[in-house]
Amino acid sequence: MSILLDKNTRVVVQGITGTQARVDTIVCRDYGTNIVAGVTPGRGGQDVEGIPVYDTVREAVEKHDAEASLIYVPAMAAKDAVLEAIAAGIRLIVAPAELVPLNDAAKVVDAVRKAGIVMVGFNTVGIITPGQARMGGMGGLEPDEIYAPGRIGICSRSGGMVAEVAWALKKDGLGVSTAVAMGGDQITGRRMVDYVRLFEEDPATEAIALFGEPGTPNEREVALHLKKSGMKKPIVALIAGTFQENHPKGVSFGHAAAMIADDTDRPTAKKKMLAEAGVRIAKDIKDIPVQIQQALGRG
Amino acid sequence: MLPLTEDKAKAWLKRQRFPVPEGAAAATPEQAAEVAARLGGGAVVKALVPTGRRGKAGAVRLVETPEAAAQAARNMIGQEVQGFRVDKVYIEAKVAIAEEYYLSIALESFPPKLLISRQGGVDIEETLAKDPTAVTVVDLDPTEGLKPWEAIAAWQAVGIAGAALPKLANLTSRLYAAFQEADAVMLEINPLCIDIEGNLSLVGAMVGIDDDALSRQARWLASEDEPDWMFAGRNLTPRERAVFEANQKFRGGMVRYSELDGDIGLIFNGGGAGLLQHDLILAMGGRPANHSDMNGVNPDKIKTLTRAVLDNPNVRGLLVSANHLQMTRADKKVELIVEVLAERGIDGAIFPVVFRMFGPKEAEARAAAARIPNVHYPPGGTPMEDVCRLIVDLTKKAAGVAR
Repeated sequence: MSILLDKNTRVVVQGITGTQARVDTIVCRDYGTNIVAGVTPGRGGQDVEGIPVYDTVREAVEKHDAEASLIYVPAMAAKDAVLEAIAAGIRLIVAPAELVPLNDAAKVVDAVRKAGIVMVGFNTVGIITPGQARMGGMGGLEPDEIYAPGRIGICSRSGGMVAEVAWALKKDGLGVSTAVAMGGDQITGRRMVDYVRLFEEDPATEAIALFGEPGTPNEREVALHLKKSGMKKPIVALIAGTFQENHPKGVSFGHAAAMIADDTDRPTAKKKMLAEAGVRIAKDIKDIPVQIQQALGRG
Repeated sequence: MLPLTEDKAKAWLKRQRFPVPEGAAAATPEQAAEVAARLGGGAVVKALVPTGRRGKAGAVRLVETPEAAAQAARNMIGQEVQGFRVDKVYIEAKVAIAEEYYLSIALESFPPKLLISRQGGVDIEETLAKDPTAVTVVDLDPTEGLKPWEAIAAWQAVGIAGAALPKLANLTSRLYAAFQEADAVMLEINPLCIDIEGNLSLVGAMVGIDDDALSRQARWLASEDEPDWMFAGRNLTPRERAVFEANQKFRGGMVRYSELDGDIGLIFNGGGAGLLQHDLILAMGGRPANHSDMNGVNPDKIKTLTRAVLDNPNVRGLLVSANHLQMTRADKKVELIVEVLAERGIDGAIFPVVFRMFGPKEAEARAAAARIPNVHYPPGGTPMEDVCRLIVDLTKKAAGVAR
């Protein structure tokens, strides 16, 4: 079991004929991902390593029942690509594009949430269910070196840190049910709390590891959720970026932003809120498996 | 975020047919007098810096004659206001104000927020503290925009009625549309005025544009005075400026560099990894000379970043560290950094250098790094904690020797 993605999930790759997309598609398929189609407008009828290419996502959905889309489209075209996937009825989107303008991201996220689907990203290395499937670069060329199958769910705001956390777990004999790099941007398709809820409901996940950063209400929302509904499974969180509190917050002018994004988006406040809600706070990466083992009564 | 100075913000609003007072920027007292004369003599003279609360900082003056405008400009130019050097002043026609309101739009998290108040001309924090009922926050729908009737309800909620209501509401709807079109992430109109003839006037205006949208909003950068205040509410150092310019000049990838006052140079790859290691280094008693990040492989950008880190006069050691690179090759990045280090004749025995770049093409990366004498490149899988400890200890030793 896992969340969102397993070996049966039927995946379409948008932008499949691009250089990075081709490489990642093959790496994902070799890992076990059920890639059923690709989309590049104008390339309909061609194929990439035997994977049929269509002009639109709708065709891939109609002909192959594609349900998830991995979107390799440049930042400035990312909005329309995601909206197309939503319009075609896709339920899981993984969108690695970096540096997507925030107003585009806001429109995309609005559409994602109105449609009730999941988008991982923007600015993500993707999602992996070890031993079954992956969408995106997560795991690199030697995923087995980093990700062992197991029962710990990972959700991280940093794509790179998912690998470091999974690596530390593996060294300690722990494995991963599903790992999600939710997206490094201020605005992401889904909130951290959405993934926490999915892990809580997943019978194959027995504990959750979170990696948080300064800014955004993500960690606070997790704390509020846990306070309200109680801890269902042990959660360990590592929150980076405390140093930023000693420096001015970017270029600050005007007061609206400073007022809306109050002190609760600082790492210190996040750690406090999470700890009060029952989350164990890790002091560094090595501490994550230690705390998980303790929480599971094996420390 | 690229904050626009008042002249640019108002020129943009004017092009969008929003009512802003007549005005222009001036770099000398003579120019200031000319502008004031054109406006009829009496005017408001403001230091042209991208920050709020200028009134409190003494950076806003009411003048009655062109001579007084020149004098006000003379007093302001060259001074520092809230950490920014004043290079220019903005001279604007006075508005006969009847009512003052407040409006801001912020895109920081989802959904974007509109914040309005029936009290303008004062800090919004002050209004909130004294009279919270004067303020309301409304969630904005990025797809639908803000409908005029929704804007009417918002202004009603802060007690506005009568003739002002449709005017303010219509303006608010249009401002959010303009905000989206311009790829703004922050807009503050304070005060938003109605003059004695009943006309709207956007007297105070600040706008911040999304860095990630600058390539399609190039007009903000196409001006003779380039932004010089991108980080931390102060002027950029020459090294920060070089990195900013490299990002504008070359396509592909992105590098970030912010200078601090310690002695450990940091080149990070991966935002989260950088944040965590910076925290770890501080906890271990180390003092970073900078923070940085890079993504993608643009040779010019990576070399510019490396030079910036090394050119910082306080730097005594260097950590180049990333999370496991997964799909990204380690060798290209390491080769580029090593090229700059070799160009400078860096020897790790004098200026410690530690690499933690694990992932594809790691063997090639190690071979490239070996060009630097006495370099440290711990074995694959070495935790971040250990390389942070290493650079802290080595830099302390190196700095001790240098002294």
